[in-house]
Amino acid sequence: MISLSKGKTNTRYTVVEILTGDDSMIEFLFSLGCYPGQGVTIISKLGSNFIINVKDARYSIDEQLAKAIQVEN
Amino acid sequence: MKIALTGNPNSGKTTLFNAITGKIEHVGNWPGVTVEKKEGTIKSAYNPRGVDITAVDLPGAYSMNPYTSEENITKKFIFDENPDVIINIVDSANLSRSLFFTTQLLELGIPVVVALNKSDLVEKKGNTIHAGALSQHLNCPIVTTTATKSSENGLELLIAECIRHVEKPHKQIAAKIDGLKEAENEKEFKAADKKRYAFVDKIVSEVERRSISSHEQTKQDKIDRIVAHRVIGIPIFAAAIWAIFWVSQAWLGPIIADWLVGLLEGFQGWVGASVEGASPILSALLVDGIIGGVIAVVGFLPLIMVMFFLMALLEDCGYMARVSVVMDRYFKKIGLSGRSIIPMVIGTACGIPGVMASRTIKDERQRRTTAMLTPFMPCGAKLPIIALFAGVFFGDAAWVGTTMYFLAIVVIIISALIVRKITGDTSQSYFIIELPEYRFPSFKRATISMLSRGKAFVIKAATIVLVCNAVIHIMQTFTWDFAVTEVASESILASIANPFAIALLPLGFGLWQFAAAAVTGFIAKENVVGTLAVTFGISNFIDVDALELMGETGASAGVESAFAIGSVAALAYLVFNLFTPPCFACIGAIRAEVDSAKWTWGAVGFQLAMGYVLAFLVYQGGTLITTGALGQSFMQGLIVVIAICAFIGYLMASGSKKQTA
Repeated sequence: MISLSKGKTNTRYTVVEILTGDDSMIEFLFSLGCYPGQGVTIISKLGSNFIINVKDARYSIDEQLAKAIQVEN
Repeated sequence: MKIALTGNPNSGKTTLFNAITGKIEHVGNWPGVTVEKKEGTIKSAYNPRGVDITAVDLPGAYSMNPYTSEENITKKFIFDENPDVIINIVDSANLSRSLFFTTQLLELGIPVVVALNKSDLVEKKGNTIHAGALSQHLNCPIVTTTATKSSENGLELLIAECIRHVEKPHKQIAAKIDGLKEAENEKEFKAADKKRYAFVDKIVSEVERRSISSHEQTKQDKIDRIVAHRVIGIPIFAAAIWAIFWVSQAWLGPIIADWLVGLLEGFQGWVGASVEGASPILSALLVDGIIGGVIAVVGFLPLIMVMFFLMALLEDCGYMARVSVVMDRYFKKIGLSGRSIIPMVIGTACGIPGVMASRTIKDERQRRTTAMLTPFMPCGAKLPIIALFAGVFFGDAAWVGTTMYFLAIVVIIISALIVRKITGDTSQSYFIIELPEYRFPSFKRATISMLSRGKAFVIKAATIVLVCNAVIHIMQTFTWDFAVTEVASESILASIANPFAIALLPLGFGLWQFAAAAVTGFIAKENVVGTLAVTFGISNFIDVDALELMGETGASAGVESAFAIGSVAALAYLVFNLFTPPCFACIGAIRAEVDSAKWTWGAVGFQLAMGYVLAFLVYQGGTLITTGALGQSFMQGLIVVIAICAFIGYLMASGSKKQTA
């Protein structure tokens, strides 16, 4: 298990856990379809920002959030 | 009967709403454009039998568990106001996420009609969606729509479907989701939501065929890597803003404005000639006070409309979300996030929707700070002030406008740091924003947006500004004992404005006319130019070259000499007007968003302090550089500025203590 911030681009990962004390963020990510068992792909890394694909949409997230999302291959 | 429009952010709800009601609510290609509910009646073309239907456009939401306050508006409306039908607008390109919200809506018992919107994009990408099968799975009618098209858009069928549902009322039966039962506690809610998602995944895999997976890289991603690049992204943003200012204020805008002012002055001359025999006081009030003042303001309309047009193109293409990505890393350093840039960019058109857009920010302190600082961006009503001073004192240079824009950003950065210190809250929050697909901006939508905002400007000029100009004209015509005075400095207006003017002496523009204009500016910023026109007796601020031909020497010397201040003081006045508190309506919007009397008064006090200190620095610093000596009343001003800084410093120090405690 690694955090998404250490992931490679163009690799399909599966979300394992979201490590944060911010419950409303966990719920929000859930409503986007980003929760344990779901797929996530890093499209680009732009400095400390990550562009990711979840379900069929692109999101930009910051490094802190990428660190909170734990994934595995 | 009432139809509620719901769906994920940026699924095209407002575009569809405008199409079915004929309204011109603001649309844009980023999530979170609509932050409040809007009502309208369905166009007769879609409602041939004239059934009484009101459509309600609601802010976008990802689910029934609201994350930000505008999502809460949607939830509250559906629960409290019992719409007869819910139109659930689903972005066809994003079924797997959008249908999750649909499954929640289907469980409320209210009839749901799903609009599979942006269906043109599905075809373009070579994907297919089997709407019939989807309808069976969901137990509700599905209509494919393309709200951006003016015909063959599916909207007629959509409305017909809604009417059919209302005329035969029934309770919506929820989609059959395996193992779903009524949730009784938090844990069961979460488990139920997972079941909903699993159900959506299953049906999407059945009804949808995609030619390429969304996980693949596309051309759009290549554009993102340039446009949202951490270094290149900044000059791209700066170039876009500069281009908007240059075209609207130094090139196309003034060309149209010249022509318009010529027409209006012809009208003013004609009115002047036709009332020649009337009482001189009344004809002066009509010709110079009312008409002249309004012309001075309306003359800037072309500049503003060109800017609105270009802004609309920018908002339509999908760039705004990228700007917030670029700015996030920098805004984090000052205690805000990339989300804060969107209200500020919207604020360049009008501060009120800008302030309201701060609602999409989750963190309370960030939201309040953004609402408080957004009015620092030069709004459309402040543009005439910028254009006036740029034209009169700086030869119409585009750098004046662009500099003011970036000065505003610098001021916002400094202010955000100060506010963070004062509140003692250094917490950080996560940043996440959906990146919509880029699209070629629509000239039609930009034209509609330009016309509606232009109309609002004209209405304001013909009402508030007109009345203010008339009042100002009367006040400067009479003395306190109601005698007509030729010497304006003895007038009621001058005597009221003089005490304010004294306070403005250290800023270089301590004339009662400027003080009066700054005060009327609080009613509406358009008034500043109007009041200057009335008090100085000039109505043509656009074609300053014409004044030159009238015998003055040097570019625009006519207005410049009438103003009797130098270009440094002019710049200080410009800065003062841009950074003092916004108009009352905007202050009201701030109050609504910050939802705290302390924050509202703090915001107004802070803005006043900021405007004063900046104007002082510009005038005294500029005078020192250009003449080698200090400007007038330096010491008095310095005392005020030191007092302001000391007070803010004290607040910052006690804020830091709060933080360590």
